Amino acid sequence: MSKPTADWEKVGDRFYRKTQLYTDVFDQDLELENYVIAGAPYSGAVALYRDEDKLHAYRGTQTAKPTIDIFSCAGKLIRSLNIDKGIVKALGWSEDETLLVVTNDGTVRCYHNLQNDFTPFTLGHGAEEHGVRACRFWLSGFVALLNNNALIAVTRYDEPRPKLLATPPSGDVASWAIIPPAYTLSRSVEVLLATGKTIYVVDASECEDRMLENGPFKHIAVSPNGNFIALYTDDSRVWVISSDFQNRLSEYNSRVKTPPKDMQWCGNNAVVLAWEDEVHMVGPNGAASKYFYDSWVHLIADTDGIRIITNDICEFLQKVPDASEETFRLGSTSPASVLIDAVDLLEKKSPKADDNIQLIRPNLDEAVDTCVKAAGQEYSIHWQKQLLKAASYGKSVLDLFNSDDFVDMCETLRVLNAVRFYEIGLPLSYEQYMRLTPERLIQRLVNRQEYLLALKVSDFLRLPLNKIYVHWARQKVRSSNADEESICKDIVHRLDGKRGISFEEIARAAYDEGRSKLAIELLNNEPRAGKQVPLLLSVGEESLALDKAIESGDTDLVFYVLLHLKKKLTLANFFRTINTRSMATALVEASAAYGDRELLKDLYYQDDRRLDGSNLLLTEALKQSDSQHRNDKLKLASKLLQDSREHTFQVKAIDESQRLLRIQEVFEKDLGESFVGLSVNETIYKLIKSGNIKRSQKVQSEFKVAEKTYWWIRLCALVSRRDWRELEEMSKTRKSPIGWEPFFNEILGAGNAKLASLYIPKCTSLTVPERIEMWIKCGLITKGAEEALKAKDISSLEMLKNKATGNAVHEIERMMAQLAPSRR
Amino acid sequence: MAASQASQAINTQDITDKSRRDLLLLLEAVRGKKNLVIEKSLASIIGLFVKFSTLQEYGVDKLFFLENHNVDSSQRNIVFLARGENARVVRTVAGTYDNCTMIWHRINSITSQISIASLTEAEQIRLVRSESKIDHDFTVIWVPRRTLVSNLVLEEHGVLGEANITELDLQFVPLEPDVLSLELEDCFSDLILRKDPTPIFAAARSLMGLQKQHGLFPRILGKGDNAKKLADLLLRMRSEEDVNASSDPSNTYLTSFGLTPSSTIENLIIIDREVDFPTALATQLTYEGLLDEVFSVSHNQAEVDSSILGSAPAPSTQPQNGTSPAPITATKRKVQLDSSDKLYPEIRNVNFATIGPLLNRTAKRLQSDQQNIHAPNQSISDLKSFVSKLPSYQAEQASLKIHTSLAEEISKFTKAETFRRVLEVEQTLLIGSEGSTVHENIEELIARDTPLPTVLRLLCLESTLSNGIRLRELDNFKRQILQAYGYQHLLTLTSLQKMGLLVPREANRGYLNPIAGSAGMGATDWNFVRQRLQLWVDEVEDETGKDKDIAYVFSGYAPLSVRLVQAVLQKSYLQTLATAGGAAVAPATTGAGWKGFDDVLARIKGATVDVVQKGSDADASHARKTLRGNKEGPKTTIVFFVGGVTFAEIAALRFVGEQLKEAGGRQLVMATTGIISGKRVADVAIEKGTFGS
Repeated sequence: MSKPTADWEKVGDRFYRKTQLYTDVFDQDLELENYVIAGAPYSGAVALYRDEDKLHAYRGTQTAKPTIDIFSCAGKLIRSLNIDKGIVKALGWSEDETLLVVTNDGTVRCYHNLQNDFTPFTLGHGAEEHGVRACRFWLSGFVALLNNNALIAVTRYDEPRPKLLATPPSGDVASWAIIPPAYTLSRSVEVLLATGKTIYVVDASECEDRMLENGPFKHIAVSPNGNFIALYTDDSRVWVISSDFQNRLSEYNSRVKTPPKDMQWCGNNAVVLAWEDEVHMVGPNGAASKYFYDSWVHLIADTDGIRIITNDICEFLQKVPDASEETFRLGSTSPASVLIDAVDLLEKKSPKADDNIQLIRPNLDEAVDTCVKAAGQEYSIHWQKQLLKAASYGKSVLDLFNSDDFVDMCETLRVLNAVRFYEIGLPLSYEQYMRLTPERLIQRLVNRQEYLLALKVSDFLRLPLNKIYVHWARQKVRSSNADEESICKDIVHRLDGKRGISFEEIARAAYDEGRSKLAIELLNNEPRAGKQVPLLLSVGEESLALDKAIESGDTDLVFYVLLHLKKKLTLANFFRTINTRSMATALVEASAAYGDRELLKDLYYQDDRRLDGSNLLLTEALKQSDSQHRNDKLKLASKLLQDSREHTFQVKAIDESQRLLRIQEVFEKDLGESFVGLSVNETIYKLIKSGNIKRSQKVQSEFKVAEKTYWWIRLCALVSRRDWRELEEMSKTRKSPIGWEPFFNEILGAGNAKLASLYIPKCTSLTVPERIEMWIKCGLITKGAEEALKAKDISSLEMLKNKATGNAVHEIERMMAQLAPSRR
Repeated sequence: MAASQASQAINTQDITDKSRRDLLLLLEAVRGKKNLVIEKSLASIIGLFVKFSTLQEYGVDKLFFLENHNVDSSQRNIVFLARGENARVVRTVAGTYDNCTMIWHRINSITSQISIASLTEAEQIRLVRSESKIDHDFTVIWVPRRTLVSNLVLEEHGVLGEANITELDLQFVPLEPDVLSLELEDCFSDLILRKDPTPIFAAARSLMGLQKQHGLFPRILGKGDNAKKLADLLLRMRSEEDVNASSDPSNTYLTSFGLTPSSTIENLIIIDREVDFPTALATQLTYEGLLDEVFSVSHNQAEVDSSILGSAPAPSTQPQNGTSPAPITATKRKVQLDSSDKLYPEIRNVNFATIGPLLNRTAKRLQSDQQNIHAPNQSISDLKSFVSKLPSYQAEQASLKIHTSLAEEISKFTKAETFRRVLEVEQTLLIGSEGSTVHENIEELIARDTPLPTVLRLLCLESTLSNGIRLRELDNFKRQILQAYGYQHLLTLTSLQKMGLLVPREANRGYLNPIAGSAGMGATDWNFVRQRLQLWVDEVEDETGKDKDIAYVFSGYAPLSVRLVQAVLQKSYLQTLATAGGAAVAPATTGAGWKGFDDVLARIKGATVDVVQKGSDADASHARKTLRGNKEGPKTTIVFFVGGVTFAEIAALRFVGEQLKEAGGRQLVMATTGIISGKRVADVAIEKGTFGS
């Protein structure tokens, strides 16, 4: 076994290591120099696209069609995407391995999950006229540079909103780079444009000149943490400065005449320059190291290092992690390195192993931790084992030790080793895995259709499995040639009893493939109506969709379907569909009542709901201010109901209302006052109040208003008119249908106690005490006393006496005296 | 009293906090200052849990009502807050008047305004500068969720791409610690008149939210067709939730095992308003109920003429929620009616007849307190303890003043002769005695031009209690109503018939209305139910003058809805009451659910619901039980009213809750789609337009 330090190299005072990940990456025929290459973050897939600017050998018509090929890091072709229109100007990846393809007319295609289908959007802001020149991507967005130097930023891909940044000065842009929004002070993306001798910093609101004088800069690169900027000057020097342009940190002279093809950061502390087959790595303080290759080199920067890809090999260049350095550095005397020696000795069954342990006894826990950490950084399985063995040995000596980290690391390494296998081709470093998260790793596996591994890893890490199943089923629907029934059966059988399976997603895949029948069949297994409905609509199963929507009880869904139906069907068919479904009818009715009366009319007509139809006309009549139109509407309303026997009351009422309106119009003409809008009773009231008794009686007889009602109205009207004379007249009438008590109450309420008292004797139906009470209310205590006297009620008399004043007291006493003897 | 009921199982404060947090988070997401355009009905609801000053802290500059069409463009950010779910609001199948278009109109008008403004600006300032200033950021917050229909409409108008669209999942709003409400204003008309089940769905979603938090309701009981629909929806949502939860990436392991029955909640009792119309129609006689009858309490606030309250503005009556910054007209003042008041919780639930002595007692106590200060020989420490009590003392005094004036105003109302008549008719009907005086009285009320809602309530009460009115008599009444109040009320009467409130006796099986007569009993056998459940109690007070039965809230009538709840929770009490009442009753049975009262339920219209929910995974539910087992708190029962609850019923249920708490530490929480009263019921049906208007 080679030493772990074999591929280390000292640059300045730091160690860097170059790990060979895979060999025989690309076909030897592939002329890598003619391709544009883009690698997904966290050791993701690599997209290759033939560079249109470069000449290439003619290879027959077949390959002339431009494609974007997606490879794994080990060179396995995952997918080949056809680009049928537009010239590809930029390729990029997002954090979740979505491939973004930007063409020169400003169209952006997002290829999700390494699939063939994409969602497009356009940049706008003049991208179409001026054309896109280049793009720079970060984890969740990108900036496009147009040929007129305009900059357009897109910050999210689920609902993209291209935004124009501040306008930079015109002039040739020698090179440019971006600082992702997460690392800027303004929290908006910042663009560095090398124009002329200086650099401009552009963000959403302003464009600032940084006043440099050593340009033009051939390359600009921003470190992954956004703190440093590397510049490549015209006189072949590399400058590293802080991103606020305040400090120059280091300088390196490459002494190469031709400017490098590419310049990228390797982690946050080294810059890598690449010529055709030569790579310079510039560490801190200008120290450098050179590597030479046999063929064309491409650089793919990642968060903690850089991938170097040639036709033959895929390598990972990174700074040696601290834990590894501590453990393996030559001559290291750190506890961890002693521990690893100890385990070596132990294997040789040497007693010195224990001496070593005793030597580092005080720092043993630290040594174990370091070994565990270093194991995570190792690519070689041998050394991983060795380090873990050391850790295990070390912790067996310790009395108290929390083994969680150890166990976690073992699990993690199992997963990492599994996915690093060349057939999977995901050479994740430990740090990348931590940033990627296990869930997204599963997603990547699923995207590569490694279902078995995905299931095993999920199971191993105790993650939910449902998404993997769904993805599998979708893929099956897409690719299987079997007949629909057996596919459906197979899928349902396989997924039976699994929790949380979204059949809707599977059905949608089937629908997208044009297999509508299969889609419907699969949808039957979907428990969530909200998910079924939209797809059923697109399949064209409207009535089924309506049923499902109603079943769900979600009126929003029902409305959604109804809107859809109404657009699609003729009115008659629309009504027929909703007719049998009462909830749908109710909803249409409710909503139409506020907007579309015509629709409602048609609906009622179709259903032969005459009462509703007539009522609708009635509402319209209410809205008419013109009497002619109003009458027409009312006539229509009554005509609609004429034939049916059960609505005679309604018809009569409508006719009466017309009569009333006619009479009221006559009154308006005759009396010059407004009557329309009043009810029958109110009309009578108003007539009496204005002294038109005759007319009021006519209305009474015309509308057969009950005598009682009429008397009440008359009483109230007269009282409000303060027509005491007329009321006095009325008191002479022999009989009243409403009795006389109301007269008393109303008149007294109006404040005329004298008149009110006239009615007291007429209230013969009341008891004596009640009448006495009435007298008191009128302030006529003597009268009350007389009443009491008649009834021979001595106690009331006494009560009255207490209330009385002045002369009345004597009066009452006299009465009491009258009573007294008779009692004796 | 009510405030101290703060239940442990369902902490309503949490719900308030969550709503507030959610809203503020959404507002915070819009950077910088913003103008808020809000739907009117939402404004007061939001006022229940967040103050205007808090909104201002979160960058809200000005508030506009969506309905007023007057937003200005002073701020770059404009946030719309509107309901997206109600079918009536998003009336798009046919109409164009809806929130979406409203918002679209507004957005358009704003952009056009701006472009004009920018043109003039452009002449003065540099072009580049002004152009970058044009673009407004629009945010639309849909309550309670972003719907497909709203998406569709916004898309049709081409706004979808321009606006940021988010949703605020506003569900229950706690009116009080023991009352949760969805505050759906149109819920009653939606459900009963238009047969639009949107409120049921909203209710199911909210209850599902509770289940997600507290575990499944172990038993769902209910009465009425809508209750059945709600229970079915809950079951359905549970199965959907299974899929949703596990496909949601943000979920943790725990939820992926599915829901398990709650250990703190005992029952969910769903009462459909349709089962018990009479209670909603009868005049409420508790203080709070009468406040509602006279002043209309909405969202815990009543608008009262300031002349009634007297001139001095007391601190507690100042509009506490600033969401309505529009100056309140000088003559109207808002009175906050909730448990934050010193006095109100004590008096809200009592029968109005006893309010006088109660206020009197309080006044005396306050007076004696006051005299204590004036006592000459006080030590400094006495003084100190008094001064520390001073603020609360003053608040109490202020609230006493308010409630005294309110009670005075109410007593003016109750002393009126018509009120006595109305009450007489009501009580006769509720007792169930046949009397011809009822019709005479109603006729007189019509002739005397008593407000239409009052008359309609009486007629509907009769109709619902005796399953319709004889056709000849009904036609007679109808004719009188039309003549007295106008022929436009033909529409009112049809609406009432559609709602099943005022029907001829033959036609009450719902054949005129294809939707209603689908399942369950068509009509309630009131005589049987009245006797079996003792809906009328002659003596509501015991010897000491304390109320002994829920019937006190209507001075004799015990609401059917509450009796149904008692049939689940207080079986033995109800049995003894019935036996004492002389009804032949099977021996008292114990047991869960409706057991022991199946015979009555069979004679009440509407479907009966009784579902036991078990966890899908027995092991997990067992594990959860053992995990929480040591925390065996009081069991809570949730009573949910579909279609609204009256204040009188709330008072009655609180009464039941008190008894339960004393007996076995069980608790009641009320939940509803909204607050209802007879006035609101009648208002739903009444046609507002008149001829010639």
